[in-house]
Amino acid sequence: MPETRADNVLMQKVRDGDLAKMAVLFERHHRALFRYFLRLTGQREFSEDLVQDVYFRMLKYRHTYRDGNPFTSWMYQVARNAHLDGARKRKGESPFLEEQMQEPVSAEPDPSEILRRRQDLGLLRRALAALPVEKRELLVLSRFQNLKYDQIADILACDVGTVKVRVYRAIKALSQIFFELAGDKAS
Amino acid sequence: MTCDQVKEHIADYLAGALSQTEAEELDEHFAQCAACKQETAALSETWEMLGLLESEQLSAQPSAQLRPRFYESLEAYRHGLESAAPAPARRRFFDWGWQGWAWSAALLVGGLAAGHWLGQGARGRADLAGLQDEVHHMRQLVTLSLLEQQSASERLRGVDYSSRVDQSDTQVLAALLHAVNHDPNVNVRLAAVDALRKFAGNPAVQGTLDQSLVKQDSPLVQLALIDFIVDQRDKGALPSLTALERSPTVDKNVKEKALWGLSQLQ
Repeated sequence: MPETRADNVLMQKVRDGDLAKMAVLFERHHRALFRYFLRLTGQREFSEDLVQDVYFRMLKYRHTYRDGNPFTSWMYQVARNAHLDGARKRKGESPFLEEQMQEPVSAEPDPSEILRRRQDLGLLRRALAALPVEKRELLVLSRFQNLKYDQIADILACDVGTVKVRVYRAIKALSQIFFELAGDKAS
Repeated sequence: MTCDQVKEHIADYLAGALSQTEAEELDEHFAQCAACKQETAALSETWEMLGLLESEQLSAQPSAQLRPRFYESLEAYRHGLESAAPAPARRRFFDWGWQGWAWSAALLVGGLAAGHWLGQGARGRADLAGLQDEVHHMRQLVTLSLLEQQSASERLRGVDYSSRVDQSDTQVLAALLHAVNHDPNVNVRLAAVDALRKFAGNPAVQGTLDQSLVKQDSPLVQLALIDFIVDQRDKGALPSLTALERSPTVDKNVKEKALWGLSQLQ
């Protein structure tokens, strides 16, 4: 059974009262959810709280899960709401903290190349952090969570064409911020 | 293809989701429009760099606390549901006439008396047994899940958590025996030997640890195993203890302990 279909079946069982099956869904998806939130918020502890909140919400609102509804899309819909509510509660407390992301480990032998790449990735992280959250979310879903555009359309409740246009705008905005930062650094 | 149509296709271009025809049309447009070609190249570069951030992201792991927090919450949620389950047919109770009230009073008195004499009823016992089963199942899941983790500290938590499962749980017992024999971390193996004491009466434990004794490469674990075997009065381990005592490559302290073990069991 493909994993996605197996997830759907597991969630149906949770909805019908077999709550222990949520443990399997936790083991399969909690890391991806953690990375999703970490990319959106830049804060590890907050991201873990949000993962916890997502599973709690999925338990609490399990009766809203419908047969045939892809579990992954439903989970990310719940995750978006958890993030929106969590960010609203924390408004003004702490903005995106991109410095909390880890430095990449490079296998490049040339030290100058490693340095240049680190600088570029550092700028890209800053650019991503500076992007409005709705644009950052699109790039996180499509590039980091590796979701297909039709899945993202399900999550955002819009059509696939709209998702593609928004992805274009998001990557363009990111690119502009990145090259501006790189220009500032060079000048 | 026009410049506006190119923009509509860039998301698919980046994701590698263009059809053959669309890719060819895009190439034809690029051959004539330097601006679109340049923009697409710049966006592709940013997209590729995001891919490098993605690989960086894969190394980001949640802390070791997240898993136990989840399982504890899940368990608490299930308990909460159990205790909040509504009593059946409550609504109709007030619709009864005086006969109903009389019967209910009589039943209440009778029930209290019966409860007094009989303790919990069969249904209560069944409910309690069901709840205990679920709690046990959840503890088993937590233990087995932690024992499979890559981090040694999480596996140690798993060994610690095994003390909460029933001693008849063969799956947890098998996982602990596996940890004693194969875990790469000495501390986890030592903790697993200690945790096995809870399962001491289980026949699966006896007759297994003497094999483990010979396989171990850590003197500390071997010393702990000899203590355990002697406490168990496991005479089936005599050949393994003899082999250890005579082996020229075994640690001196282990040889002495093996000799002591032989004197205790013979």
